[in-house]
Amino acid sequence: MNNETDIKNKIKSNSSLFTNFVKNAVSASPKVQNNFLDVSTQVALTIQKILEDADLITNLEYKGKDFWSENKCKTSCFVDGGVDKTSIISSAPLSIRTGSYIVKPDAADKNREFFEESMVFLGDLYDPKNELYDFAEDDFDEDQMLNKKKDGARIIFEAVTIVKHILLNRKFDYCFLHGPIEATVMPFTVMGFPTFTKFAVENMLPFYNKNKLNAEARHFIHVYLEALNSIKKSKFPIYGIVETSNSAPYIKNLLFNYKSKGTISEKDFKNTLATIKKYKITDSHLLEIILKSGQAIKPLEIKKQIKGFSVTSGSAWEDKMDSFPSVHIGYIKINDHSAPIRIESLNPSKNLIKDYEYILATARLLPNYGFPVGLNVVDKFAKIPNWMSKASRKYYATHLLKQAIRSKDQNTISLAVKILSKKVRSWRNRPLGGLAR
Amino acid sequence: MNTKKWKSIGTVLGETNISEFYFSLKNYKAKKGDIITTESKIPSSEGNVIPVTVWGKISSIESSNVFFPTEAAQELTNENIDIRDTILPTTRDELICKVIILGFTLKDNLKLMPLNYPVRPAATVSYPSSEDVEALLISDLDSEHPLFIGSLLARDAVKIKIDADNLVSRHVSIFGMSGSGKTVMVRRIMDELLKKKYPMLVLDIHGDYLGFIQKQKKLYPNNEVKLFYPNLSVSSDDKEIIYTLIDKLGNSLTDPQKDFLSSLLEKVKYESGSLLKYIELLVRKAREYASDSSKSFKNIRPASMYVVVRSLGQVAKKLKNMEQTNFRHRQKMSKLKFEELPDAATEPEKIINKGQLSILYLKGYENLPASAIVSILLENLFKHRQEVEEEIPPFLTIIEEAHNFIPSRSEDKDNLPSVDTIRKVITEGRKFGTGIMIISQRPSRLDETIASQCNSQIVFRMVNQKDQRATTRDSETLSVDDSKQLPNLANGQGIISGQVVNFSLPVQIKFDAELINDDIGNENFISAVENWDDKESVKQRKKFAKDFSNITSIDRRRPN
Ligand SMILES: Nc1ncnc2c1ncn2[C@@H]1O[C@H](COP(=O)(O)OP(=O)(O)OP(=O)(O)O)[C@@H](O)[C@H]1O
Ligand SMILES: [Mg+2]
Repeated sequence: MNNETDIKNKIKSNSSLFTNFVKNAVSASPKVQNNFLDVSTQVALTIQKILEDADLITNLEYKGKDFWSENKCKTSCFVDGGVDKTSIISSAPLSIRTGSYIVKPDAADKNREFFEESMVFLGDLYDPKNELYDFAEDDFDEDQMLNKKKDGARIIFEAVTIVKHILLNRKFDYCFLHGPIEATVMPFTVMGFPTFTKFAVENMLPFYNKNKLNAEARHFIHVYLEALNSIKKSKFPIYGIVETSNSAPYIKNLLFNYKSKGTISEKDFKNTLATIKKYKITDSHLLEIILKSGQAIKPLEIKKQIKGFSVTSGSAWEDKMDSFPSVHIGYIKINDHSAPIRIESLNPSKNLIKDYEYILATARLLPNYGFPVGLNVVDKFAKIPNWMSKASRKYYATHLLKQAIRSKDQNTISLAVKILSKKVRSWRNRPLGGLAR
Repeated sequence: MNTKKWKSIGTVLGETNISEFYFSLKNYKAKKGDIITTESKIPSSEGNVIPVTVWGKISSIESSNVFFPTEAAQELTNENIDIRDTILPTTRDELICKVIILGFTLKDNLKLMPLNYPVRPAATVSYPSSEDVEALLISDLDSEHPLFIGSLLARDAVKIKIDADNLVSRHVSIFGMSGSGKTVMVRRIMDELLKKKYPMLVLDIHGDYLGFIQKQKKLYPNNEVKLFYPNLSVSSDDKEIIYTLIDKLGNSLTDPQKDFLSSLLEKVKYESGSLLKYIELLVRKAREYASDSSKSFKNIRPASMYVVVRSLGQVAKKLKNMEQTNFRHRQKMSKLKFEELPDAATEPEKIINKGQLSILYLKGYENLPASAIVSILLENLFKHRQEVEEEIPPFLTIIEEAHNFIPSRSEDKDNLPSVDTIRKVITEGRKFGTGIMIISQRPSRLDETIASQCNSQIVFRMVNQKDQRATTRDSETLSVDDSKQLPNLANGQGIISGQVVNFSLPVQIKFDAELINDDIGNENFISAVENWDDKESVKQRKKFAKDFSNITSIDRRRPN
């Protein structure tokens, strides 16, 4: 394990924690810098001690060649979504899609890999009638809302894509999502956040109609919760993978657990949390220093949706927060020079080490970036054309068309053709219509 | 034409227009240069919609696996991992083809017509059968006199024919680097034209066309093949050329000396005949003027006249030398019957005649005299075509190593007399049936006006960028995509474009092995050395060399 000097050196040798600190405190005097170093070293040592005490650190094995020849029979599915990122007026339709990259390495060429466009949506995702949020009081608010709508759309679509795989009874050994398996829903609880259109919900969750889809039932919170509950029922393991963490849920929960057990005093707990906040220390920062390449931290069960924030308090959604499933969060450090990646799941892992080793292996295929390569692949696939490279745009065009043609549905084809026939620019300005009508 | 039988090979992608489209190609189903089709619909002039077959040519193919991250290759190599074991995508190579639209055809009529309505995105792209492609090409060419030259590149079953009428009247240029197949191509065309009894004149510098003589009895029993060696025969009409020749081949003259030379040419009349004889006559006359310090040249000193006399002697010597060289080369081919080139002014029919191929063997001649010979010859033949009483039929002139006869002005070659002549013949050739075929390894060194008059082009392998640029510059029909292909062509593969075809086509030229000149063959220096025996003179020199070198080696005396 790391001793104090190790830790200090690690922090100094360009850890993201230190660079982050230096960036934020350009004018920091040597005294301030030393203090930062001392504090973060102390925090790291403490957390390391606790992690050891709780036996949370584990070594993963990676033997590239052998691993892959043993695991080539596994079917993995990687999911990611893409939204038309360019600015649109809030009432204009969004274009959004999620892609799945499904691969079984040892299958014959024809069946080895599939790029599925699992969900595509062009049109009125949000219901303009229920858009209580009026036109821009100021541009900032307008932008904020727009971004939230885009995020909300992407989150829903990704979740729903996984639900679809589950409903279709796909035989996966693994399913990975690019991003948290359960997003923080707080931003969508703001007043005036529009509900989805009926058409959208019917298409996203065909089985979700018990409430006759009134406005409330079509709100993000409800739809998302419904999707998460379905995901939780999956027979195959599903992990959300996050590149870097800009908060400290793991550390905070770890400390909280120790406080609850009585191992840490209430006061120490509070002070440490305050320190972590002041010094902007995150899970990634700390674990980057503590973990060695190929090491992982076993997951903790964490509640993501926390009651009592000012935004939500008193809102209609306050009570809903508790109904969201808790999330199991762990970390894997892929290589020496990047921060550990966060692994999230809704259920506890049945084969934790095996699963983590699989994730490690997929990430080692991107030796510098240190992120599961399948997610990188599907990320490229899912992107909406206007920020795609020329080549992938062409690919996308082909794909969409093939898909449309395979569906033999004249409307889908003509829509696809319409989209493809337009220059990129006009795609996003296309008139209302398309699938939503 | 049964379009149902054609194999589907891909799907049209978005953003189509009337001149090109993209499609995604199934693996290994077509290649660059292939002709493909897609079914489409166009509005007719009567206002209804008619189904048509749109034809196109694949002008480029891009393949990419956008999903394969380069970083991954590093890990695969380091850990010796088989990519097929991993979750990396391996089958996502996407092939996108760009297609130049050639036109559309209606059902049961293979005449290509220009497309005026875009093809349908998402339509299926098909690979038409060889018979149908060939039928289209032939029908589209609509030629009364098609010439067979080879097959569509890498699609052997599709025979390619070009239009003889355009070929012989609208001029053709054939470019490509050394050994790329130009001469093989020309021989192919000549073979076809001989069968049509079309008269031809070939300017042969290397003897590449002597095979026609050797094989005449066997292959062309109904044709005449004549082999000529040059004869610098001139008349007083050719004064300018004679002046240039003497001026350029002789010693350099001062202005008064030049004045004397031109007055001399003015004064000394000569009906017609050998240039050498004329020069000898000039020498005699000039001597006379110099010695009697004649009244006719008051301003010119006799000394200057003697300079001119000496210069004329130089010219005569050089001309004799070249004649000699050419003669020696001819002698090596004792089996072949060479005739002196007849006087084109008075007996053009001996050179241009129905069914006759005339080969002018120019080996041994320097640029300038060769150019003079060709200039005088073509000038005379052209005159005979211009006259109301056409004394000779239309004919085709084939100019090998054309940069020797029509160099670009930027080449800074002395004004060659053949440039003007050929320029004239090529500009008016359409009217008078004096077609020209120019062949060169270095298109960038050719006279631009002449090169751009060639309405058809056949381009072979070409690596030099300057030449590539010159080629596309001179051509209206060769596309940039075509020119990109040039460095990758193999021997005998060329891109043919212009009026002899209707759209540019990559072609594998048929190789006529029997038309190769057996006598020269390929130079085989290795066996030449193996069978080498020193000449007598060399043997003698070698015998004494050692002794002499011994003398020099012991000589210690300093020169005084
Ligand atoms: N169509 C063809 N098929 C097969 N082989 C060919 C073909 N064309 C050319 N070759 C081969 O390449 C050789 C050279 O061809 P050719 O004499 O036509 O070259 P070239 O372009 O005239 O070269 P240069 O500029 O040196 O005269 C031929 O002898 C033959 O071996
Ligand atoms: Mg040649």
